[in-house]
Amino acid sequence: MPTSQPLAHKDASLFKQVLKAYETKQYKKGLKTCEQILKKNPNHGETMAMKGLIINALGRTEEAFAIAKDAVKQDMRSHVVWHVYGLLYRSEKMYDKAIGAYKMALRFEPESAQILRDLALLQIQMRDYHGYIETRKTIMQQRPQLRQNWTALAIGHHLVGDYANAEKVLSKFEDTIQGNVHKWDFEHWETCLYKNRIIGESGDTERALEHLNSIAKNTLDKTALYETRAEYLLKLGRMEEAQKAYQLLLDRNPERRAYYAGLEKAMGIDPSNRKAAKPIYDEYAEKYERCDAARRIPLDFLEGDDFKAAADSYLRAKLNKGVPSTFANIKALYADPAKREIIFSLVNSYNEEQEKEEPAETNGDGPKASQFRIWTLYFLAQHYDHYRTRDMTKALEYLEKAIKLAPKTLELYMTEARVYKHAGDLQTAMEKMDTARKLDKSDRYINTKTAKYQLRNDRNDDAIATMGLFTRNDVNPNPLTDLIEMQCIWYLTESAESHFRQKQLGLTLKRYATLLKIFDDWAEDQFDFHSFSLRKGQIRAYVDMLKWEDSLRSHPFYTRAALGAIEAYIYLFDHPTTSGEPELDKLSEADRKKYLKKQKRDETKAKEAAAAKAAKEKEERNKNASASDDTVKKEDTDPLGVELAKTKTPLEEAKKWLDPLVKMSGDTNARVQLIAIEVERRRQKWLLALKALKKAKEIDPQAEGIWEATVRLRKDVSALPTDAPSLSTDSRTLFEEELLPLLAPTADLAALTTDYENTHSGSPAHLREAARVRKVLGLEGFEDALMKSVKVEKAGWKDGVEAVRVAREVGVEERKVKEVAGGRWGRVAAFK
Amino acid sequence: MDIRPLTPYDLPGIQNTNITNLPENYFLKYYLYHYASWPSLSFLAVDVATNKTVGYVLAKMEEEPSDGIPHGHITSLSVMRTHRRLGLAEKLMRQSQKAMVEAWGAKYVSLHVRVSNTAALRLYRDTLGFDVEKVEEKYYADGEDAYSMRRDLSFLIEPEEEEEEAEGKKKKKKAKKTKKEGDEQEEDVDIDGDEPEKLKTKEEGKLKTYKLGRQLGVSDLQEVDGRA
Ligand SMILES: CC(C)(COP(=O)(O)OP(=O)(O)OC[C@H]1O[C@@H](n2cnc3c(N)ncnc32)[C@H](O)[C@@H]1OP(=O)(O)O)[C@@H](O)C(=O)NCCC(=O)NCCS
Repeated sequence: MPTSQPLAHKDASLFKQVLKAYETKQYKKGLKTCEQILKKNPNHGETMAMKGLIINALGRTEEAFAIAKDAVKQDMRSHVVWHVYGLLYRSEKMYDKAIGAYKMALRFEPESAQILRDLALLQIQMRDYHGYIETRKTIMQQRPQLRQNWTALAIGHHLVGDYANAEKVLSKFEDTIQGNVHKWDFEHWETCLYKNRIIGESGDTERALEHLNSIAKNTLDKTALYETRAEYLLKLGRMEEAQKAYQLLLDRNPERRAYYAGLEKAMGIDPSNRKAAKPIYDEYAEKYERCDAARRIPLDFLEGDDFKAAADSYLRAKLNKGVPSTFANIKALYADPAKREIIFSLVNSYNEEQEKEEPAETNGDGPKASQFRIWTLYFLAQHYDHYRTRDMTKALEYLEKAIKLAPKTLELYMTEARVYKHAGDLQTAMEKMDTARKLDKSDRYINTKTAKYQLRNDRNDDAIATMGLFTRNDVNPNPLTDLIEMQCIWYLTESAESHFRQKQLGLTLKRYATLLKIFDDWAEDQFDFHSFSLRKGQIRAYVDMLKWEDSLRSHPFYTRAALGAIEAYIYLFDHPTTSGEPELDKLSEADRKKYLKKQKRDETKAKEAAAAKAAKEKEERNKNASASDDTVKKEDTDPLGVELAKTKTPLEEAKKWLDPLVKMSGDTNARVQLIAIEVERRRQKWLLALKALKKAKEIDPQAEGIWEATVRLRKDVSALPTDAPSLSTDSRTLFEEELLPLLAPTADLAALTTDYENTHSGSPAHLREAARVRKVLGLEGFEDALMKSVKVEKAGWKDGVEAVRVAREVGVEERKVKEVAGGRWGRVAAFK
Repeated sequence: MDIRPLTPYDLPGIQNTNITNLPENYFLKYYLYHYASWPSLSFLAVDVATNKTVGYVLAKMEEEPSDGIPHGHITSLSVMRTHRRLGLAEKLMRQSQKAMVEAWGAKYVSLHVRVSNTAALRLYRDTLGFDVEKVEEKYYADGEDAYSMRRDLSFLIEPEEEEEEAEGKKKKKKAKKTKKEGDEQEEDVDIDGDEPEKLKTKEEGKLKTYKLGRQLGVSDLQEVDGRA
C-alpha cells in the first residue's frame, strides 16, 4: 500500500531528486532538497525518512534515528518509512531490529523486490535459514528467469540439510535451459558442481558419482572434479579406479599429501606397515625431478637401514643445493630417537669428511667454501638448538665456524639469535637478530623477526620503529595505525603480551580491544558477499565461506588472544585500582607522579597524532570532492587504554572473549575450561565453574591447574554463608553432589595434594601448582614444592620466570628462587 | 610441506604470511574477495609438522582486461624465509597457472615485481619463463619501479580445448549478453551509506584514484590495486 501522504506533482519530482542524490552520495544536495519539500509539507513522513537516512550517512546517527522514528509516526503505512528505519538499524548492525522493520515495510508493499532482497541478506547474515528460504521463494517466484534466484533458494535448503529440496530446485532450473550451454558459462558449470556436492552430502555416493561423470567433460574446476571423483570411488570401494583417480591427481600436483594418502588407501596399504608403499614414492620421485614430497614422505615410515639410505640421499641433495630450510623440513622426525640418531650421525659424518679435506687454516683467502660445507654446519647448529638435543655451546660453535666461512649469510645470525632466545638471553637474541636484519634491509621477513624479538625483550618503542621500516608511512604516519588497518594479528598479540608482562594494563587492554574488533570485522566482512557471491556464481566457495565465518573464532589466533585478554581482565579484577594502572599502587609517591606525568605526555602525543590523522584524512577527502564524502571518522579518544583499564566490570569484559572461546574450543582445549573456571569463580557462578571443571577433567585429566581449581572452588563454596545469594540451598546440594566425585578417594585435601605432588614430581608446572595449593590450604611445604619446580630436569628458563612470579604470590622470598634459577640459566636477565 | 588449494580457513594464515614477508598488505576482506571470486586460483603451502602456513600465491583474473584477452594476475606471492629454496614458490605458481587456464580460460598471466627483487626475478624469468613487458616507474608506495612481467600460458592449453575454443566464440558472446541483463537487474543500489576512503597514488605520471578500507562494498574492492 502506498503512502497515506501523497505529494503534489512538483514536490513528488523533488522527492525523486532526493532519492537520486542519496544514491549518488550527494548528501548535501539531498538534504537541501528534503528541506525544500518539508517547508511545504512539514509532516511528510517519507521525506523525513530520507532526511534521516542522509543524516545517518553524514555520521549523525542519533539524530537520524530520532527523525526516522518521527517519520514512522507520521506515515505508519508507508513502506519507504519502514524500509529506511530498517536501513538505519542495519547500518548500526542491529540486524534483528532491521529484520523487524523490513517485515513491516513488506506488509505495506509485499512485492517490493528491493526490500525482499534486503531482508534476505539480513536473514542469511543472522543464519535465519527458514526465514531466508521463505523470502527467497518469493523472490524466485517473482523472477524465475534469473538463475541466481533458484540457486539462492537451493542454498537455503542445503544449509538446513534438506538435500532433496535443494537438488530439486537446482534441477528445475536446469530443465528450463534450452540448447547447449557454452563452455565458459562459469555460473552454469559451477552450479552443476554445487549440485553434485549436495547429492554427495546427502549420502547417495553412487548417484553422486554418476552425476559427476555426466558433467565431467565440461566442468571447469578440474581439481575439484578429480578430487571429488577419487573420494567417491574410495568410498564406494572401487579401488582400482580410485587408484587411477589418485594417480591422475598426483600427476597434476605431486606435492599434495592427501593424494598420496588416498593412493595408499586405494592400494590397500596397511597403515601400520607402510613399507610396502615405498615403490609408489619411488615412482613419483623418478618421474618428477623437482618433487619433494615423494622423497620426503618415505622418511616417515622407513626404518633402520632403509631409512638411513633414504635419509642420506635426501639430506645430501638438499645440502648440496644449499637449501637453508633442510632442518625445518626434517625436524618432525626427531620425535623418533632412532631416526634422530641416524640423521645426526649422517650429517656429522658429512662434516667430518669435509673437515678432513679442508686445508689446515682458512683465513678467508682459501677457496670459497662450498654450499654443502656451510649448510652442513648450519644444520648441525640447528640440531644442537633443537629442544630434544640442545647444547648451546655446540650450537654456537658451529655457527661461528660457518660465519667465518660465509660472513654475509643472514640465516646464520638469525639462528644465533634463536639460540640465545632459547637460553633466555633476550637482549643478545634481539641484538643478533638486528645484525641479521642489517644484512638484508629489503627483506621484510627478517625485519619482522627483529621486531618480534624486540617485543619479546619488552623493547616496545624499538619494535614499532622497526615495523615502521616497512609500513605504509605515506598513508599513516604512525606505523601502528597501518598495522591495525592491515589487521596485523601477530604484532598486536605480541605487543599485548609484552605490555602485560610489564603490567601496563591500559596498553594491554587497548591491544586486546583492537584484536577483538578485528574478529568482529571479519565476521562483518561476509555481509557484502551474500549478494556478491550470488552474482559471481561461485556457490561452493560462498557456502564454505559461511561455514568458515561460523567458526571464525576457533582459529588459534583467537584462542591465544582470548586467553591473554581474559588473564589481563582477571588480573585487573584481583588488583583493583583507581589509577587504571595497578603497578602504580606499588610505586613511591614521587615515582608515581613521574609516571603519571609521562603517561599524560604520551597520551597528549597520541591524541595529537590521532587528531592530525583525522585532519589529514579530511583534507584528502576534500581534495577528492567529486562526491560529498563528509562522513565523520571517529577519533580515538583513548589511545593508551587508560579508560579501558578503569573498567568497573572487568569480568563482564572478560566474558566477551570467553563465551566464543568456550563455544569454539571448549570441547578440545582444557586450558579454555580452566580459564573459564577462573572467571566464573570470581563471578560467583559456582555451578558454571563446576561445569567447566568437569569438562576440563574430561578433556585432559592430567592438565595442570585442575587440582588447584578443584581446591579453590571447594574452599570458596565452603566459606559461603548458608544464605549466600549466589548459591541457593538446592544448588549447594547439587554442587556438593557433583564435586565430591572429583575428590575421590578421600575428601582429605591435604592427603590428595601430597598424592598429586608425588604423581607429578617431574613436572615444573604441576609443582608450582602444588605450591599454590599448599598455600591456599595453609599447608607446609609450599616453598619446597616451588624450589623443586626450578630444579627438576624438565624445567626451562621460562619455568624459572614463572616460579619467581609464584614466589611473590605465595610469599616465598624471590631471592631464593632467583638464586637457583640464576645458577641454572645464567643468561636470563630476570634472575640477576 | 603440503601444497593445496585455498579454503577460507586459510585466509588469516595467508594474511599473516603476507604481512610477515612483504610491504604490500591488505585487510582480510580483500583476500576473501579473491577467494569468493576465483576460489580455485590461489594456493598455499603448509608445514605439515606444525600445520602452519609457510607460503601462498594469491591470484585473480583481470576483471576487465584492457586488451580484451582473458588473463590472470598474481596479486601476491611469498614464502617464509625459514622455508625458502625448497621449491615452494615455483610449485605454487605452477598450480595457479594451470587453474587459470583450465577454469578461466586465461591466455597469459601478468604480475609486478620490484626491480631490486633478484630472487623473485630469477624465479619468474629463469624458472617460470616470464618476460619483462615494461618498467612501471614509481609503481610502489616507496617510489621503487616495478617490472611488469607476463607469461604466455598457451603451452598449458590442451589441444582439444583449442578447437572448441574457436568454434565456441560466437556463442560465448551471446551467453555473456544474457548474463549481463541479469546482472543489471540484480545490481543493488548502494544504499547502505558505506563511504570509500579515497587516496591518490601517483602512477605513470598521472594521478590515479585508489579506494582503500575494509568498509567498502565488494565492488569497490575490485579497484584496490593488487600489487605483488
Ligand atoms: C621470491 C620467493 C617467493 C621465492 O620463494 P622460494 O619458495 O624460495 O622459491 P623456490 O624455491 O620455488 O625457487 C625457485 C627458483 O627461483 C629462483 N630463486 C629463488 N630464490 C632465489 C634466490 N634467493 N636467489 C636466486 N634465485 C632464487 C631459483 O632459480 C629457484 O630455482 P632453484 O632452487 O632450482 O635454483 C621468496 O624468496 C619470497 O617470499 N621472498 C619475499 C617476498 C617476495 O619477494 N615475493 C615476490 C614478490 S613479487
